[in-house]
Amino acid sequence: MTRSDQSASSRSRKGHKEAKILIKIPSEIRYIKEVWLRILTDLKPYNVDSDTLFDVRLCVEEALRNAVVHGNRSDNRLFVNVSYWIKGADFNIEIENEGSGFDHRIIPDPTTDDNIMKSSGRGVYLLKNLMDSVEFNKTGNVIKMVKHLK
Amino acid sequence: MGVKLESKNGLVVCHIHGEIDINSSPSIKKAFDNLISKKTPKIVINLSRVTYVDSSGLATLVEILKNMRPYGGRMRLTNMSSKIKSLFEITKLEKLFEIMADEEEAVSTFM
Repeated sequence: MTRSDQSASSRSRKGHKEAKILIKIPSEIRYIKEVWLRILTDLKPYNVDSDTLFDVRLCVEEALRNAVVHGNRSDNRLFVNVSYWIKGADFNIEIENEGSGFDHRIIPDPTTDDNIMKSSGRGVYLLKNLMDSVEFNKTGNVIKMVKHLK
Repeated sequence: MGVKLESKNGLVVCHIHGEIDINSSPSIKKAFDNLISKKTPKIVINLSRVTYVDSSGLATLVEILKNMRPYGGRMRLTNMSSKIKSLFEITKLEKLFEIMADEEEAVSTFM
């Protein structure tokens, strides 16, 4: 895992210096925990409430797992690039995989009677409901999420 | 993560400690497969010491319920934190599971 900080001149709502953090991980599940632990550590100075931290962790884990397993098909020659930053009172994160992408609009709604008993398919649905904003690029290999910090 | 089982008033009460996620799901499944193979008719799962659930954790609980249905088994979930309960509400799993506020009530009213 490699990490770098891009310095920025602005300051967040609490006066902390904003910086864009870049992390690159191989397509292996074992690296995911390091990323969300790093993010939660970086959010500590912002006194974020526990429910918001729960949402950030869950959404980062789900999105990274999708990037590693579905995006890069666990091919450890491919990488997942993560960048995150705080702007004002918002936590922003972009996760990019090197796979061919997918159309998030065709994911079935896991809450319908036909799908509710299924054992998978809730990850993206949770992201869309727990984050304040979720966007995919056209190809579907980059997800950008925003969470308002409370 | 740990699963503690106890028999109470003719049913099985399970206390799960820690996180129900992609890492702990295989051990949780294993613990419940044993109960399901014995066709345990009523199971109460106390989640008071569960601090985190992800989509795999939700899927694991759905699978346990699904595996109990063929023999008419029933499951109740109790003592969830408000945060974890909100995941059941968002995913509409609250309409699939019997969710109760506390273990005592779930056990004493489990007919």
